[in-house]
Amino acid sequence: MKKVVNVNLGGRPFTIDEDAFEKLSAYLKLLQVHFKQMEGSEEILADIESRLGELFTEYLETRQIVTMTEVKRAIEVMGTPEDLGAEEEWEQINSNSSGEDVFEKRKKTKTRYTTGKRLYRDRENRIISGTCSGLAAYFGISDPVWVRIAFVLFALGSAGTVILVYIIIWAITPEAKTAKDRLMMHGERIDVDAISKKVKEEFNEMEKQFNEFSESFKKKR
Amino acid sequence: MKKGVLEMCILAIISREEVYASDIIERLKKENLIVVEGTLYPMLSRLKKAGHLDHFWLESQAGPPRKYYKLTPSGEEFLNQLTESWNTMVQSVSGLTSKKSKQ
Repeated sequence: MKKVVNVNLGGRPFTIDEDAFEKLSAYLKLLQVHFKQMEGSEEILADIESRLGELFTEYLETRQIVTMTEVKRAIEVMGTPEDLGAEEEWEQINSNSSGEDVFEKRKKTKTRYTTGKRLYRDRENRIISGTCSGLAAYFGISDPVWVRIAFVLFALGSAGTVILVYIIIWAITPEAKTAKDRLMMHGERIDVDAISKKVKEEFNEMEKQFNEFSESFKKKR
Repeated sequence: MKKGVLEMCILAIISREEVYASDIIERLKKENLIVVEGTLYPMLSRLKKAGHLDHFWLESQAGPPRKYYKLTPSGEEFLNQLTESWNTMVQSVSGLTSKKSKQ
């Protein structure tokens, strides 16, 4: 027995399995991040949603419920953000229509697509609040100890104002909670692969710790 | 550059008749010009923003209203310019490659 969710995709009602719904909303979230930098991103997403609705109607024929199979199939057809990134060159199109050397212009205006880097607090490598390690990740400094030393030195030199600055940064910076946050903290590209890699890494780490724990347990016995 | 060609194809498809997104996808897929459908929507949005396309809603027999696209005068002009530069490029490339094969 499975729970189902009712959704509206581009004006069409669908009943969708809960697991399939989660997959689909994760996919739409990723697309949202992918298109965020473009103007008219809301319209693009709306267009994609209504196309997904069309695809589901096509796949279902007379069946009632959208399952994981349909969702996976539709995502394959529509393309993951990485597929889209590979196929597209992110560029700014000049709004004028002088097309004489349009091919030339295109080559020149090619810009790289990077996800916005954001400042987070890195609680995993923290001493106090993870602010310094977050700053280190943001500026690409491999060892947060340098940021900490700088903070302490400035704090001594500035008669306490830097401590206030530290507390303010602490207060306004969110904590990196999810795998996606951690990727954005380092300014890495966010795509399905990168996130699953990160999750896998975390899982491996957990497994390692568990193994070590059970080893030590065995030894004790 | 491939995208410039794709844009040209999209404009050409729309110039023949007023179509909605799925029609365009169908055509492009038939010619193997598009791999994933998601690529099309940002292009349509960009072309529209540049004033080359216009859209209007039409009721459909099944499902919600569909968004149809048509070319604006500036879009037609843009398509002509693209086609021209495409033709020149094809000529120069085929000129170059055929010379090479003769040597």
